[in-house]
Amino acid sequence: MTLAPVDYLILSLYFAFVLGIGWLVKRRVTTSEDFLTSGRSVPVWITSLAFIAANLGAQEVIGMCASGAKYGIMTAHFYWIGAVPAMLFVGVFMMPFYYGSRARSVPEYLKLRFDEKTRALNAITFAVMTIFSSGISMYALGLLFELVLGWSFTASVLLSAAIVLVYTFLGGLTSAIYNEVLQFFLIVLGFAPLAMLAVSKAGGWTGMASRLPPVMTHTWKYVGDASQNPMGVEAFGLIAGLGFVLSFGYWCTDFLVVQRAMAADSMSAARRTPLIAAFPKMVMPFIVIVPGVAALALSHMALGYSIPAKAGGGLDYDQTLTTLMAQFYPSGMLGVGLTALMASFMSGMAGNVTAFNTVWTYDLYQGHINRHAPDAHYLWVGRVTTVVGVGLSIGTAFLASHFNNIMDFLQLVFGFVNAPLFATFLLGMFWVRATGHGAFSGLLAGTAAAAATHGLTLAENKGGWLGTVVHTFPSTMAQNFWIAIFAWSTCFAVTILVSLASQPKPASELHNLVYGLTDIPHDADLPWYKRPAPLAIIVVVALIALNLIFW
Amino acid sequence: MPDLRIPIGIFFTLVGLLVGITGLAAGYHAPLESENVNLYCGISILVFGGVMLWLARRSS
Repeated sequence: MTLAPVDYLILSLYFAFVLGIGWLVKRRVTTSEDFLTSGRSVPVWITSLAFIAANLGAQEVIGMCASGAKYGIMTAHFYWIGAVPAMLFVGVFMMPFYYGSRARSVPEYLKLRFDEKTRALNAITFAVMTIFSSGISMYALGLLFELVLGWSFTASVLLSAAIVLVYTFLGGLTSAIYNEVLQFFLIVLGFAPLAMLAVSKAGGWTGMASRLPPVMTHTWKYVGDASQNPMGVEAFGLIAGLGFVLSFGYWCTDFLVVQRAMAADSMSAARRTPLIAAFPKMVMPFIVIVPGVAALALSHMALGYSIPAKAGGGLDYDQTLTTLMAQFYPSGMLGVGLTALMASFMSGMAGNVTAFNTVWTYDLYQGHINRHAPDAHYLWVGRVTTVVGVGLSIGTAFLASHFNNIMDFLQLVFGFVNAPLFATFLLGMFWVRATGHGAFSGLLAGTAAAAATHGLTLAENKGGWLGTVVHTFPSTMAQNFWIAIFAWSTCFAVTILVSLASQPKPASELHNLVYGLTDIPHDADLPWYKRPAPLAIIVVVALIALNLIFW
Repeated sequence: MPDLRIPIGIFFTLVGLLVGITGLAAGYHAPLESENVNLYCGISILVFGGVMLWLARRSS
């Protein structure tokens, strides 16, 4: 792919605006809460778009396009049942506790609801994970730009990290959120035309369906039996594993996304954030997945286009998106598309760094190291942590380029840690009797159950390290879904048992933290389109319609 | 907080102009596409930028 001056001009313009936004926001940052939680003052349309943009990193965009080519429109399950129901749940049912508790972070909510050790466990694993994902995101950026444009890996990593450092250092969370919104629009305006061009070239949806095996253009028709679909998953594993455990675990408890809603300017706006975000989230598959499906159809036509082959055999699906861009975009739009990719890499990094900042400063530093300093000190710590966070991410990126196996291993371990989380929050928010000992032991037991499931089962030669293999899954995806199901169930059961055997917190300490001891706002005085329930109902109707259309 | 619609509006107006003018002035063509992609996309991006600026102006 070769770029013209206009492409570089668009990319430079983007860099200038990102830094400019950081500079604009800087003047409003005077306290540590301004820097780390946006002072709870961001308008709802911005928090909503940032809520999905924080998750719409470049790896997501490239990976979803790749999965579209590999698995077909079934990939949309990751959006439709794998995100939207959980987004509705966090908005309608969980946000009153997150926002109402006045906690500044998700780990801090655990501290208020349970105890210090549960918070520390969540804060430490979360902090390590954010640095890791931010490093991986930079590593992927360096690799992609090296492969597609021949840029130096080191130069791309350092340049993007420097820009992220400057704007998050200046404006903190607000700066990161504002740039996520800019990135969201860049992704839509940069990739929606690509989807339209690729689909129309492939003969529209009917043309694509006629060129592909029927399983590629249906979402539900072939999930009755794992051997009938390319993902190798069956309906129960898909709904319980992806649709319930994994998706609720991510969208309802991951501080990176929840932080966006918690930055909203009122309780009502915080609750509406994930609900409004559900609308663009639902149609996102048409921009990021459908081009992949179209690419596969195009490669069956005599156009000279094909998805590149991998060195070791098979297709390199990760190159689907960039090769499509090269086929359909002339210089100009090519610059917009590449800038959109660059933007999503950078805002992915910035999102992780700002979440890391808040958790480090409030939950670890203020919680354990220096409890009673003046606020200016914590603002200073927050700024220093930005520099340290970006530095550690750069280190992780270079580590990843030398030791790929360590990264795969860490990713696996983080999966084990995350899988049981939603059980802890569900019981914490809806069962007054749940205790700190219960939550802590539940989390440990859930993580152990996840590891044991992986050790006792086999899928595509992964797992089975405990010696005996009890079950073989048709795909690693199915294995992951079932690991999540076992981890969640174990955590749920152990938390209940240990809670019943230990001393609960008195009700006076649980106000605004648990259902039954919290005033749930009903917003009866607001117009219907500003109330959570009607918004959620509209989303559900649209979601059912989409699933039926692409059944 | 500064109104985010203003920087977003200015950014996309400029990008729309750049892409649209490229479509008019340079005869760039992608391998699989014969339409003037830059011109049509440039106009759409320009319109989006304009709408953002108009919304910001209306509310201030």
